[in-house]
Amino acid sequence: MSGAYQMTPLAEAHPGMVLGEVLRDEKGNMLLAQGVVLSEGMLASLARHGVDMLPILAAGRPASAIDPARVQGRLDRVFRKHEGGNDDDWAIGILRQYVEDFRLGREVQR
Amino acid sequence: MSKLSPEQLALDVRDLPSLPAVVMELLSNIEQENIDISVLAKKVSYDQALTAKTLRLANSSSLGLQVKVATIQQAITFLGFQTTRNLITAAAVTGCFPNGRCPGFNDKAFWRHSIATAACSRSLARRLRFNQDVAFTAGLLHDIGRLVLVSGHPQAYGEVLAWRAAHDAEWLDAERAMLGVDHVEAGVALAEHWNFSDTMRQAIAWHHAPETAGAGFLAAIVHVANAVVHALDLAGEEDELAPALSSVAWSAMGLNEEAYLDLFRETEQQLEEMSAILMA
Repeated sequence: MSGAYQMTPLAEAHPGMVLGEVLRDEKGNMLLAQGVVLSEGMLASLARHGVDMLPILAAGRPASAIDPARVQGRLDRVFRKHEGGNDDDWAIGILRQYVEDFRLGREVQR
Repeated sequence: MSKLSPEQLALDVRDLPSLPAVVMELLSNIEQENIDISVLAKKVSYDQALTAKTLRLANSSSLGLQVKVATIQQAITFLGFQTTRNLITAAAVTGCFPNGRCPGFNDKAFWRHSIATAACSRSLARRLRFNQDVAFTAGLLHDIGRLVLVSGHPQAYGEVLAWRAAHDAEWLDAERAMLGVDHVEAGVALAEHWNFSDTMRQAIAWHHAPETAGAGFLAAIVHVANAVVHALDLAGEEDELAPALSSVAWSAMGLNEEAYLDLFRETEQQLEEMSAILMA
């Protein structure tokens, strides 16, 4: 890990970003370790702790140049034995959907 | 070619380079808490290469230590005994097998897959309140039987690679077709020779068949982690193949999509960091 990070306002931080440095509160107590992948719950908790800036790892920012066709093509290749999905194969179908959402940077609908 | 027998596998594992005695001790007692830690720290520190690799892992950023540790005893103090034991095992096992004996066998891809499965198994275990250290080690060693086969029969394993490529098949099928045995049997033989705990043996034995009665929950965790890592396409193999995924094992995890997306991120991040150290 390069350790290069950028101080980013909490309002601009998203789940999935990675902390490039240890995060402490005003008293110096550690809130989150370096390398932690931020989740929605963590961001909400940080807001409650009065944190307004986060050291976000540059590489942890969502990639801007995702090529959906390339992602789909590669997934088709990796999942080539599971095309057309039968009833016994439903779990691998869900896994593929999750990996697709992950690779394409889709937000989870809840 | 002639097929291998279980007896031959038992001989193969005896010919393998042995792990440091202290690591054998750690693997056989992995579920025990009451080990004399100061004796362990001393024994490990006699092995300089093992100590250096373990300390690099301990100081990697994913473990979030505030201070740099310089001795095994310090690592145990700051990270805890279980985590340190984990790191020692990973450092030892990844350095145990010689690389490059079988042309066409991608050692790097093998270890990337194993390290990613270890990280993924540990993250799954954390969410499921299962022993994370046992899960990590089981994930790391789940396919170790492949290295037993490659090390003992490099030429024959070359034919496995060719058969798999020609049939676009899974490893298990290719191994059974060409060798008459598979990496699961070889892994179990090694687990017995290295005196792994019963839980670890079960996980190696059933990670492709977690629905088998008595397979145990750890086998289900490793089964799902293995599928996730193949699906994430992390090993760097052009012909990567998502394996069959047991719906029973998947359901047993009981996780939602948000949890899986976090799991994917953690797995990718830890793979890059750990592989940089373990495969150096």
